[in-house]
Amino acid sequence: MTVFAAIDIGSYEVGMKIYEISIKNGMREIDYIRRRIELGKEAFADGRISPQKVDELCRILTEFAVIMKGYRTDASRVCATSALRESENLLIILDQIRVRTGFAVEILSNSEQRFLGYKSIASKGNEFNKIIQKGIAIVDIGGGSTQISLFDKDSLVTTQNIRLGTLRMRQKLSSIIDKTTRFEEIVEELVNREIYDFKKLFLKDREIKNIIAVSDYIKNMVRKANEGQNDSFVTREKYMEFFGKIRTMNSEQMSTYIGVPSEGASLIMTSAIVYKRLFEELNAELIWAPGVNLDDGIAYDFAVGSGLIQTEHDFENDILAAAKNIGKRYMYDKGHSQMLEKLTTEIFDRMKKIHGLSKRERLLLQIAAILHDCGKYISMSSVSDCSYNIIMSTEIIGISHREREVVANVVKYMREDFRYYEEINEKIDVETYLLIAKLTAILRTANALDRSHKQKFKDIKVVLKEKQLVITVDTIENIDLESGLFNRKTDFFEEVYSMKPVIKQRKGI
Amino acid sequence: MKPEYYTNRELSWMKFNERVLGEARDKSIPLFERLKFLSITASNLDEFFMIRVASLKDMVNAGYDKPDIAGMTPAEQLDRLSIETHELVSLQYSTYNRALLPQLEQQKLTVVSSHEDLSEEQKIYVDRFFKENVYPVLTPMAVDSSRPFPLIRNKTLNIGALISKKGKEGSLEFATVQVPSGLSRIVILPVGKDGRKFVILLEEVIERNISQLFLNYDVVCAHPYRIMRNADLTIDEDEAADLLKEIQKLLKKRQWGEAIRLEAEDKMDKRLLKILKKELAIKEEDIYRINGPIDLTFLMKFYGFEGFEHLKYEKFEPQPYSSYQQDKDVFSQIREGDILLHHPYHSFDPVVNFIRQAAKDSDVLAIKQTLYRVSGNSPIIAALAEAAENGKQVTVLVELKARFDEENNIVWAKMLEKAGCHVIYGLVGLKTHSKITLVVRREEDGIRRYVHLGTGNYNDATAKLYTDFGLLTCSEPIGEDATAVFNMISGYSEPLSWNRLSIAPIWLRERFLQLIRRETENAREKKPARIIAKMNSLCDQEIIAALYEASAAGVKIDLIVRGICSLKVGIPKVSEQITVRSIVGNFLEHSRVFCFYNNGAQEVYLGSADWMPRNLDKRVEIMFPVESEKLRQEILHILDIQLEDNVKAHILQKDGTYEKIDKRGKVLVNSQNFFCEEAKEKISQPEERYHDRVFIPVEHED
Repeated sequence: MTVFAAIDIGSYEVGMKIYEISIKNGMREIDYIRRRIELGKEAFADGRISPQKVDELCRILTEFAVIMKGYRTDASRVCATSALRESENLLIILDQIRVRTGFAVEILSNSEQRFLGYKSIASKGNEFNKIIQKGIAIVDIGGGSTQISLFDKDSLVTTQNIRLGTLRMRQKLSSIIDKTTRFEEIVEELVNREIYDFKKLFLKDREIKNIIAVSDYIKNMVRKANEGQNDSFVTREKYMEFFGKIRTMNSEQMSTYIGVPSEGASLIMTSAIVYKRLFEELNAELIWAPGVNLDDGIAYDFAVGSGLIQTEHDFENDILAAAKNIGKRYMYDKGHSQMLEKLTTEIFDRMKKIHGLSKRERLLLQIAAILHDCGKYISMSSVSDCSYNIIMSTEIIGISHREREVVANVVKYMREDFRYYEEINEKIDVETYLLIAKLTAILRTANALDRSHKQKFKDIKVVLKEKQLVITVDTIENIDLESGLFNRKTDFFEEVYSMKPVIKQRKGI
Repeated sequence: MKPEYYTNRELSWMKFNERVLGEARDKSIPLFERLKFLSITASNLDEFFMIRVASLKDMVNAGYDKPDIAGMTPAEQLDRLSIETHELVSLQYSTYNRALLPQLEQQKLTVVSSHEDLSEEQKIYVDRFFKENVYPVLTPMAVDSSRPFPLIRNKTLNIGALISKKGKEGSLEFATVQVPSGLSRIVILPVGKDGRKFVILLEEVIERNISQLFLNYDVVCAHPYRIMRNADLTIDEDEAADLLKEIQKLLKKRQWGEAIRLEAEDKMDKRLLKILKKELAIKEEDIYRINGPIDLTFLMKFYGFEGFEHLKYEKFEPQPYSSYQQDKDVFSQIREGDILLHHPYHSFDPVVNFIRQAAKDSDVLAIKQTLYRVSGNSPIIAALAEAAENGKQVTVLVELKARFDEENNIVWAKMLEKAGCHVIYGLVGLKTHSKITLVVRREEDGIRRYVHLGTGNYNDATAKLYTDFGLLTCSEPIGEDATAVFNMISGYSEPLSWNRLSIAPIWLRERFLQLIRRETENAREKKPARIIAKMNSLCDQEIIAALYEASAAGVKIDLIVRGICSLKVGIPKVSEQITVRSIVGNFLEHSRVFCFYNNGAQEVYLGSADWMPRNLDKRVEIMFPVESEKLRQEILHILDIQLEDNVKAHILQKDGTYEKIDKRGKVLVNSQNFFCEEAKEKISQPEERYHDRVFIPVEHED
């Protein structure tokens, strides 16, 4: 039995959940402690967090440490989201926290955060597997922004972040809150604008029946909408009725009506409007509120990672699906990308002992293979720069900012000459640099194998022979183009791995 | 809201104290028990003045004249209370003088009422006693033009005297001396020839020797008196928020230390009384002329006298819980099934033991508890300190605002803090009145939470005198809620929802109203509907209104309310279905139980809250369900017996008075005695506890 503590430093509150995780019983939440601190209030308005708030945060974390000690926790993970992420004085804050509380806080990129949020729903197990079979939208409303992810038939179709958070909205409108009685109309206008763009770009004619809702107090809202009967599911009709009742309420009235603290009530209106508008736009029928938060995702990630629980769902697949969707948007050559993915993974797997990289890096290589040509959409002549820019400005769910940098650089240097560390202007650490080099070498080699983009090989076989990487290709087609360029394109591979890739053709039946 | 549907809470309280006085007047009760009850009426009245009357006086001074739920302004309440208090006091003293003193005399115990009645021998003894023990600690104070009127301390007994300088007869001066509170009020005199015991009160001893205090003076007269002030009092938490604001505004104008009651010996010299009245600025209606010793609380001391055991009830020893074994692991016993303790019939030991074991058990991670009133030298405090020393996480909320226990609790809190406990000194603006303990234990199959929830305080001393319920459980939903309760009182956010517990001040009121309304709905649909509720006081307007509505819809409601009851019975079409009884017995009825018929799926709740605004709005209280069917039946059985009580129960009448049941031709049921006997019987035949509803067939054995 493992006792695990998940702490999330959010823009609205700091929370900690304690779990007991075992192979036999799975995950069990045993404590949930939250304290409102509203870091986002400062971060979103001033772009920094004051020393007073940092003090308060350290005090709360110290208290959490005592509670963790009380439970004799075996492991923990502390993650921070948008409020810290968007603070200019982030590094100083992190150092303060480390020195004063001993916690090493991990700043999650939005895509990592949302991926964990998504995993938190997956921690609900069967219910999750069942519901994602149909078209669903996961709507994760946070203090800083909202993530909308669309699923269809067990896989992620698209995921988008819109800068529409409850606390951010309140902050934005704080100057006019007192001057208007039409707060909810103003919020609705702002929400409409964001949702309109989202719909135009991504929704098209997808059929989304269910919405999975993740946000503060959603359970209270659902319970009230159902007149106290249940707090998990609410139909569109019931929800609209509920919305009609709260739309004219002030926060005090809403607080008593829904049964939440009045500070919380002031945030509810924004999320209530987002759900309402999505019901209308998606033409959905039902909201499911699994009652999870980021902590559940953190714990689930830990439990799966340490082999304490098994998961039926393939999360890597979701990341790849997201990457392919990005590829599709930039009109990538699907066949070529698939072939490249296949070739790179084949080489990667065969070279395990030599490169010493893990499954995670394999995933990055796959993403790079999928997106290696996306820049062509913008310019045929500067593909590498354009690809780099597209990747750096597109969120790929589930990967961190650093990982995204790796992918972008691998794609860039697949075409450009690789530069020595000293020549690189970007802020990249040595470890990352070497990773980029290793992955680039593989991607270049693989790309050389499908120069024609015709996927000429039926089958390939990769074997390590002394100082050679022998790639036997199974095809009756002419591969002069490939083998002709092969030598030149694989110099870099040799430089990185001290090993020469050699191509052999087998003209089998 | 119709004022005529409600009884003023203060007047209802007076009725309660009259019922206690009734016990002192009940000839069927042993003499020393009657002395005890008389003493209780006196201390009750003191407390009532200190808190309630003082509060009303403040309101009048502040010009606050909003009527209460019964339509009475503070001034009207004070007028009415004054009349009733005078009546009560005169009844107290006629009981003392006419019934109790002669009976003591019969039992060879003479209370010498006046020092003039001492025998020569006794006079010698008394004078020596005075010289050796009393004189050195007296501080007489005289008043003249150069010395202002001294500060007479609140609630102290004093002797006032008029003195005149020798040789200057005619010019009288006021002098006063406090009867030292450090000395025993009762002075035991040498035993008489026939074994008769004699006692005299300390003030008589001083009075006899008072001339020694004013050497160059003649003492014209000397009489005991006592005053009560509303000094160092804050506004009672029971009052409305708007009132608090109003009073705070006027606080500067408020006359600090204003005297609100003067008790003076009825024989007091008129000149002396006039001086007191003037100097203390006290109104005529606040003067109580006492025909006997002032401050009858000394009678409690009599109760402790040895050699009079035959004049007291046989002492009841709390019994062990039938299926609980003190020497066995308490946690495994709780895992076998919930344990319901009914104190004082059941011993408080399992609760103490629960915390003691938790303190020592190496698997216990944390202990969390709320403390409101604890006993001196509390074993619970000791166990908590030990737990902290053993490295467990111990969180204790010590309520510093517990009335009259403030200083006591500070001492405990500091001690716990020193031992390494995390001590929370109460919550801003709220009193934490809930009684809950949480023990978190890491067991083989995971973390398990053990919870004790009670209706009474964690006080092993009062647990022998107060009737209360306590539940020991390791139910998971309750454990989760308990964790959330402690998170909340540690300053963290409230949980997203509650499983089983209902918490005041946020959720409990609404929960009660819902439960009552559900019965009302059922009655309207012609389904059977019934409420039985037991508590200490009932004066919440909203709850009473809901009960009236329920009664009007046909819900049968039986209430067992020991003290204040602002609800009226028998109002046509309003409260005809409601009965109210008050049980005043040897033990103080203290448990709070709430039963709702729920169309057959009966629900039984226990809790720390009365149906009073202060409990529902200004305190942290917990109500918890009793989920085991067997334990539910036990509680219903207990309520049944209480509803059958015809010895100690007083029934509220339509006119607001209480009357005992006509016992002629009936089997006498004294519920408290019944439970004592039942507890004793049960222990002689311990029963099996069935936890499983699945029957296990005995298989054929080859």
